[in-house]
Amino acid sequence: MNVQSSAKGNRWWQSSRLQERGQRWLSRRLPPAQSVTLDHRKLFILPTGAGLAFLLVIALLWLLGTNYENNLVFALAFLLVGLFIIMPVHTFANLAGLQLQRLDVEPVFAGDYGQVKVRVAKTGKRHHERVRLSWPPEEGATFDLVDSAGDRGEVRIGMPLVQRGRVMAPRIRVDSRFPLGLFQCWSWVDLNVEFLVYPQPKSAGPLPIGATVGEGEQQQQLATGGDDFAGLKRYQPGDSLRHVAWKQYASGRDLNSKEYVTGSDTRLWLDWDLLAGRDVETRLSNLCAWVLEAERAQVPYGLRIPGHTLGPGLGTAHKQKILGLLALFPVQGVSR
Amino acid sequence: MNAANSQLRTLLPRESLLWIFAAQLAVLLPQFAHLPLWLVGAWCLAVYWRLEVFRGRREMPGRLVKSIAVLLAIAGLALTYRRWFALEPMVALLAVSFTLKNIELVSRRDALLSLMLAYFLAATLFVFEQTIPYALYGILCTVIITAALAAQQGRASARPQRALSMSAKLLAQAVPVMVLLFVVMPRLGPLWAVPQNGASATTGISDSMSPGEFSQLSKSAKPALRIAFDGAVPPPEQRYWRGLVYTHFDGRRWSEPGVSDGFSHWSRGRSRLQRGAESEEQPLPAVGPRYRYRVIQEATHSPWLFAMARPNSKTRGVRETPDDTLVYKMPVANRLAYEVRSWPRESISGQDELTSWERRRNLQLPPAGNPHARQWAEKQIARGLQPEQISGELLDLFHQGFTYTLRPPVLGADSVDEFLFGTRQGFCEHFASSYVFTMRAAGVPARVVAGYQGGEWVEQEEYLLVRQYDAHAWAEIWLTERGWVRVDPTAAVSPERIRDGLQSAAADEFMEDSLLPLHKIGFVSRLRLQWDMINYRWYQTVVSFDSERQQGVLQRLLGEISPLRLAVFMAAPIILALVVLLIWLNISSRGPRLPAASRQYLRFCRRMARAGLARNPGETPGEFAHRVARELPRLGPMAAHITAAYEKAAYAGDPAAEKQLRRLVRSFWPMRIIR
Repeated sequence: MNVQSSAKGNRWWQSSRLQERGQRWLSRRLPPAQSVTLDHRKLFILPTGAGLAFLLVIALLWLLGTNYENNLVFALAFLLVGLFIIMPVHTFANLAGLQLQRLDVEPVFAGDYGQVKVRVAKTGKRHHERVRLSWPPEEGATFDLVDSAGDRGEVRIGMPLVQRGRVMAPRIRVDSRFPLGLFQCWSWVDLNVEFLVYPQPKSAGPLPIGATVGEGEQQQQLATGGDDFAGLKRYQPGDSLRHVAWKQYASGRDLNSKEYVTGSDTRLWLDWDLLAGRDVETRLSNLCAWVLEAERAQVPYGLRIPGHTLGPGLGTAHKQKILGLLALFPVQGVSR
Repeated sequence: MNAANSQLRTLLPRESLLWIFAAQLAVLLPQFAHLPLWLVGAWCLAVYWRLEVFRGRREMPGRLVKSIAVLLAIAGLALTYRRWFALEPMVALLAVSFTLKNIELVSRRDALLSLMLAYFLAATLFVFEQTIPYALYGILCTVIITAALAAQQGRASARPQRALSMSAKLLAQAVPVMVLLFVVMPRLGPLWAVPQNGASATTGISDSMSPGEFSQLSKSAKPALRIAFDGAVPPPEQRYWRGLVYTHFDGRRWSEPGVSDGFSHWSRGRSRLQRGAESEEQPLPAVGPRYRYRVIQEATHSPWLFAMARPNSKTRGVRETPDDTLVYKMPVANRLAYEVRSWPRESISGQDELTSWERRRNLQLPPAGNPHARQWAEKQIARGLQPEQISGELLDLFHQGFTYTLRPPVLGADSVDEFLFGTRQGFCEHFASSYVFTMRAAGVPARVVAGYQGGEWVEQEEYLLVRQYDAHAWAEIWLTERGWVRVDPTAAVSPERIRDGLQSAAADEFMEDSLLPLHKIGFVSRLRLQWDMINYRWYQTVVSFDSERQQGVLQRLLGEISPLRLAVFMAAPIILALVVLLIWLNISSRGPRLPAASRQYLRFCRRMARAGLARNPGETPGEFAHRVARELPRLGPMAAHITAAYEKAAYAGDPAAEKQLRRLVRSFWPMRIIR
């Protein structure tokens, strides 16, 4: 499980063993499910800092009342005690009975915010006010379910995603301090949110139109030495020095030579091998950028990566299929 | 998450600000009377500045401005208040911190701090006054502050009506806990000395008496004492509430050296230990006639208390003085209640002798002045009269041709002479003063006693209401064998003053200066008395609820006070409340109530599930019944019956079928049948 919130730093209570235990306990108590209704088994409640300050005020009032033998001051102190005692009930009641249901999870590019839509609904007659859904340390979203807002609503929350692939989102924190902010009631729900994270698009120059031949001749390069830039390949002794990619060499890459091909194929193949000489993630990022560009330019495109070949096409479904393949490309990759 | 972002997040919205200022205004408004004017101005300025910042017309003050503001505030406090250890400067300090906080009211945390401070400031209000109006105002303040707290939650909560109604609702729910704690929580008594309310002078008897002072008091109908008796109530002519004894006369003014400074007065009082030793030498009778009563005294800002002669009090902080009066350990800044037992003088054997110091003290006269009075006294001595006879002669003199009036003529330097042999018109202080002077001149130790005389008996609540206009001055003379004996020269002139009170003694002059002669309107008088009764009740039940009364109440409620019973008494309501709450939560979390037939059918389904065959989601009752017949053939017929009855009841609305369904489900125990 990819727990992003653990990146905050390790304090003693966040030591991995303790955290692991906590996670185990939580998953027993709050097993992952697409829909969760909050109840007393799932909710936790504690006073906030404001609540402690409130207690301090009560203590001071008690001292004032004692020293001045003033019964009205006592009465005020005791009234505030009463307020403090009933407060957790209200804060709890504000969350209890709230139903959370995961709707669609949209695919996302690495480096972006992954967003999930959650349907929130009442199961009883009680209102739910100032409820916040979040993936700490993100701010999350706050919503109200009161008469005017209806019985249900949709909330969108997000978290930053850096790694491509399938990412299990951490538990969502549901919390509320309603009505006075003296207590905080919260829960960690696991709505089985799984993000499909595409590689982060990184531009690799213009689209390699006609750079490779079509199906059936996959591995065979067109005659090199043409006018169209086809990509880079590792420099081999004998390559023309005019074709050496000096710019890339200057920026610290290996010595590569630019490949030029002649003859054009109107069909666009986004080929793994066009990006020879880069590491796996960069190649995926570049391919991703090309996909987006091709889609923008409305040029039908196909994909060739080790293990998968997808014929040229256009449209959202095609795009998502290809991006999905890129996202799920094994991390270790294949040897160049 | 960077700092700017977090600041943006916690920046206070407009509603929050306005609510905080409303809460501050609510708690400061009654305090503005005590606070210096510059502080009020500073608060307004700070609020204005903060609102301008909100509108974007001004920047939040920088560090320099803030430092200057703090310095100015401290300087202002130092200049305004010479004494720091007093109540007003402390309240002012709180108000100043409010004000200064306003100019850096940025985050939620600041808002909370300001509101917590507001709660505390609202409580200090009660230290000044514990009357019903103040209590009501305190409730209002609490509602507003709590509403402001709720308003910090968001825009929806900050709507005035909603915030206030929520606050009122929450506080109403907190009231039972408050009442419970109020009754049960032990009162420890002061943990350390705290500054008292040194408010401005109020009407009442002062530490000295000069001509005209008591006639001033006679213009006030404010309550002074409320006295409830446990047992016998003394007859009107015995109702002398002694407060102060004046022994020093400077020719015009009677006073008591050292009395104005409460502390030395207090230390002159006998401590309980000393009293124990003394009561051995002069025992007070354990049985026999005595009055037991509880005095509730209004704030006087002076330490002396009021009681009948020979008082003895067990209330903490109350001591008896050698002059037979009671003093409190500090000036009475708030209403004070104390229990007293008094023995009428007749029931106690007299003191044997006056110490020489006491004798000198009670014979003191200015070296010169009032020659006629002195002459008159010497004449009596020359006639060989006993002290009692001299007193009789003097009272006879008063009886002949003296007038009791609220508007006595102004007296010159030799006030006693002018009164005795000139104007012959006076108020109680004139009679007391000239009587004591003359008796002293005749060699009889005498002293002036100031206090209240009489009072209005409030039948419904059974207490004696003593008002300021009942203030009175009389005399006491020392008689060998008998000790101090009360002599009221006013009684010789105007017996009705003693019997019926001032109003009947000086009907024409009574309260004639008041704007509206309200006392003449019966309805208004009755209303006023009603209000006093409510006040009395309020004071008896709430304000003076001390550890002693607490014990009484608990004893009545619990029979005996044991830790176990107390714990049960505390825990039972809380547990009950929690149970009720849980039930409520359970009910309110359920969805709309299903129709009866569906409920019965669901019961059937639950029992089936327990028997190992749960209805699948989306499975119709008919399909389910088939499946039951297939998988658990023994239950099949029963399930079919129930399903048929359910369908009839639910879809055809057949009440007979519903009844049948209920019967069937009730007797449906699949577990038993399977086994």
